Amino acid sequence: MEAYVILKSLWWLLLGVLLMGLAIMVGMDMGVGTLLRFVGRTDTERRVALNTIGPHWDGNQVWFILGGGAIFAAFPLIYATAFSGLYVVMLLLLWTMIVRPLGFEYRSKLPGTGWRNAWDWMLFLSGFLPMVIYGAAIGNMLDGVPFHFDWDMNSHYTGSFITLFNPFAVVTGLVSLSLSIYMGGAMLMGRTEGAVYQRARKAVIGGGLIGAALFALAGIWVSFLPGYQLVAAPDPGAAQTPLQQTVTVASGAWLHNFGAHPALWLVPVLGFAGMLLGTLAAGNHKPILTWWLGALAWIGVIGTAGAAMFPFMMPSSSDPSQSLTVWNSVSSEHTLAWMTGWTAVFVPLVLWYTSWAFYVMRGKVKSETIEADEHAY
Amino acid sequence: MKTFWLFLVYLLIALLVIVLGIILGDIGPWYFAWLVGTVMIVLISAAGGALLDTQEDEKQSPRA
Amino acid sequence: MINGTVVALSRWQFAMTALYHFLFVPLTLGMTFLLAAMETVYVTTGKQIYRDMAQFWGKLFLINFALGVSTGLTMEFEFGTNWSFYSGFVGDIFGAPLAIEGLMAFFMESTFVGLMAFGWQRLTKVQHLIVTYLVALGSNLSALWILVANGFMQDPQGAKFNPLTMRMELHDFPALLFSPDAQDKFVHTSIAGYVTASVFVLGVSAYYMLHQRHMALAKRSFRMAALFGVLATAGVITLGDALGFVGGHAQPSKLAAMEAMWHTEAPPASFNVAAIPSQREQRNLWTLQIPCVLTPLITHTMTQTVPGVDTLEAQAVQRIKNGIPAVEALKELSGNPNDAQAMAQFDAHQADLGYGFLVQRYAPNQDVALATSGDIAKAARDVIPQVAPIFWSFRVMVAMGLLMLAFFIAAVIFTLRNDAEKHRWLLKLALWMIPVPFVACEMGWLVAELGRQPWTVYQMLPTWMAASSHSVGYMVFSLAGFLLLYSIFIAVEMYLMVKFIRLGPSAHGSESPTRGGGSAGTYAPAAMLK
Repeated sequence: MEAYVILKSLWWLLLGVLLMGLAIMVGMDMGVGTLLRFVGRTDTERRVALNTIGPHWDGNQVWFILGGGAIFAAFPLIYATAFSGLYVVMLLLLWTMIVRPLGFEYRSKLPGTGWRNAWDWMLFLSGFLPMVIYGAAIGNMLDGVPFHFDWDMNSHYTGSFITLFNPFAVVTGLVSLSLSIYMGGAMLMGRTEGAVYQRARKAVIGGGLIGAALFALAGIWVSFLPGYQLVAAPDPGAAQTPLQQTVTVASGAWLHNFGAHPALWLVPVLGFAGMLLGTLAAGNHKPILTWWLGALAWIGVIGTAGAAMFPFMMPSSSDPSQSLTVWNSVSSEHTLAWMTGWTAVFVPLVLWYTSWAFYVMRGKVKSETIEADEHAY
Repeated sequence: MKTFWLFLVYLLIALLVIVLGIILGDIGPWYFAWLVGTVMIVLISAAGGALLDTQEDEKQSPRA
Repeated sequence: MINGTVVALSRWQFAMTALYHFLFVPLTLGMTFLLAAMETVYVTTGKQIYRDMAQFWGKLFLINFALGVSTGLTMEFEFGTNWSFYSGFVGDIFGAPLAIEGLMAFFMESTFVGLMAFGWQRLTKVQHLIVTYLVALGSNLSALWILVANGFMQDPQGAKFNPLTMRMELHDFPALLFSPDAQDKFVHTSIAGYVTASVFVLGVSAYYMLHQRHMALAKRSFRMAALFGVLATAGVITLGDALGFVGGHAQPSKLAAMEAMWHTEAPPASFNVAAIPSQREQRNLWTLQIPCVLTPLITHTMTQTVPGVDTLEAQAVQRIKNGIPAVEALKELSGNPNDAQAMAQFDAHQADLGYGFLVQRYAPNQDVALATSGDIAKAARDVIPQVAPIFWSFRVMVAMGLLMLAFFIAAVIFTLRNDAEKHRWLLKLALWMIPVPFVACEMGWLVAELGRQPWTVYQMLPTWMAASSHSVGYMVFSLAGFLLLYSIFIAVEMYLMVKFIRLGPSAHGSESPTRGGGSAGTYAPAAMLK
């Protein structure tokens, strides 16, 4: 196989890894945000919950930024088409997300109850909504989005923003929300004790079970959903635009990859196993195991969507032949090669110092320490 | 012996820095200037702070 | 096809959100290194007061940092949401530095900023110091990659247009990274951040000194910020000159606008200190000139010609004519990538592809084949950006820079004599100086980005075609949303900032015995009391 095809496939995988990293790390923080009001009944309890991720949320958020950067660099046409097509949704995602850093940093700076309650609800909103949108965006990709290109690759989105919240997308959005609640709960279990711990544990079990049920529902739904198939296209290794291919739409076509490679069924199985075994681990008071099983569940869930769609990334429902695939939306060989080099050097480094940071801040967050520490949130 | 190894490690780092400095100075002179300049600004400012401590000590207990 | 109102609104939105973002960035860039300097003194001398300083200023830094992070997220989204054609057109080359920024710099900055704030009890002194340095390095490396990306828009180095994918592609990464424009711009911007942080720390310290509060902390912070600032300001001015030198060669149209040079003069040309430029009449209605200064200022020689607006417009006409066949060929290739004749035509004319795009706007049905000489003349006039705002933004920036240099020199003289607190005028002036670097930074960006017009990527991609094809309604919705959110944000931030400055270091429960010292000038180092 030629180098360019390998690089294209590698970056499809790397993008998947980033989307998983984002879901695991940012999803966890957002889960804590969503749960904040519910696991913490008193101000001190809420501060405990907030401080479990206090030292890490900023670093974790970079997974999100890097996810955006990697789509921009490796799949510019996806970045351009998806971000502009889903304009209103993207803005809602952005606006809720930009409130989050302020929520963390400013909430406990002033003592007023009104002030703190307001920020608590901001943190709830900025945990809840982005995760629903994140899942709904993946659901919309499976569903297809109405867009087409001019001769010069200028894209036009022809749907309304309401259609982006179609029932299927809502289900995938709720899968994502459930998993983020699960992960937030797992983190809280690992770093808190007493009442907060107990409530977080319930959230994990609820999130895991509901998530698994919705994931199953989405899976059955997909088998009836119109899927996209490449009929004729330039060689995968060729430099190309989406104007040169033919695509057909057939109900249930998203399952063809699984039919052709039955081993792929292991990916959704991993998703279910992660969620269900994770629920058991939480029941048995094993927070670290719970967290890692949740991470595996995310890998399974996002992997399932990727495996079903490959090589499609963003199918066009209004002009299927202009659908964006791995082959036609990817960057040049030169860019991919350079990016691979940077990734190979820096991702291990990032993982190393991130784990060091978690190691330094290890242990339970206690209310006494928070009240004594002027730097605590 | 430990000191000797430390000496060797530092020597190696110094050589590496010199080689990198030569390369960077060649292709990225302003990047090089930023590196050197930032270090200088930080150190001079730090030295200025430490100097103030000395001046204050002098003011408190002037030498006879 | 392209709605001019949407493009204009997209430009306003990007400009507002970017300028807003840059209210918080400079303080981050400089404050981190100032914090590192303070902590260095703490670690080397063991004096508690420097730890208090690092913690107190660190607290103000974090209030500012949160908004920097928030508004930075907007920037990352906005290329895709509002400049989708641009994103597809240059994503191959522009996305790479942004992704590397996340990978190499932003992870470092963000991971360690958490440890910097929360790790005082858990890390050793030296570990914490290293963490602080890594935050400083990380935030400045972020700036590096962003400015490499911006440098590409100003002077597209290391890229090549690929007609098979209809976009610009990377073909020389080192050329992108070491582009002279990117280098100068990064150093200029980073050091402008140092200046901003110095003025801020100096101003707040002066406020305490005026009110005889926290004298030990204020005097030391004043001293360190003054030295930090004077060196940084000198650096910023040097790099500003370098940027003018490099930019003058790479972007003659920006230079002509900065200097309001409507007509090419025989060297050595005269310098307009002040002028009232009229874009419509293409001349200055009034000027204050110094003869023979412009040429050495820009070219560092006495003999090189600096092209004026008239020369540049004449050149543009030729390039537009040459660019039209390139656009025509590209259209053919879009339908049939194997068309050898079209490919040959494209190759022959591709150097002026961007100029072909420029005239597309005025051509009937946006078909360049139908462009008349009148359309070409209109497009040629477009290559000169709006002179008056660029001319004046530039002058305000330079004036602010020189003002800060003078101020820092005065501050250094008095602080080195250790009697700055006796000169109330200096302290009051220091307070008034706080907005100055912010204004200068914003003006600098106005010059850089307005001066790049009509291009998004200089001479490659005109701004008018770079925006997403949204409806006006969408743009009004997003602008209103940003306006509302950002107004609330700045109000909250300013409130907290002022509140915590008023409270002073004592509010953060430091164990230092020197805090809140009521009596002026009397101070005992923490170490002596132990």
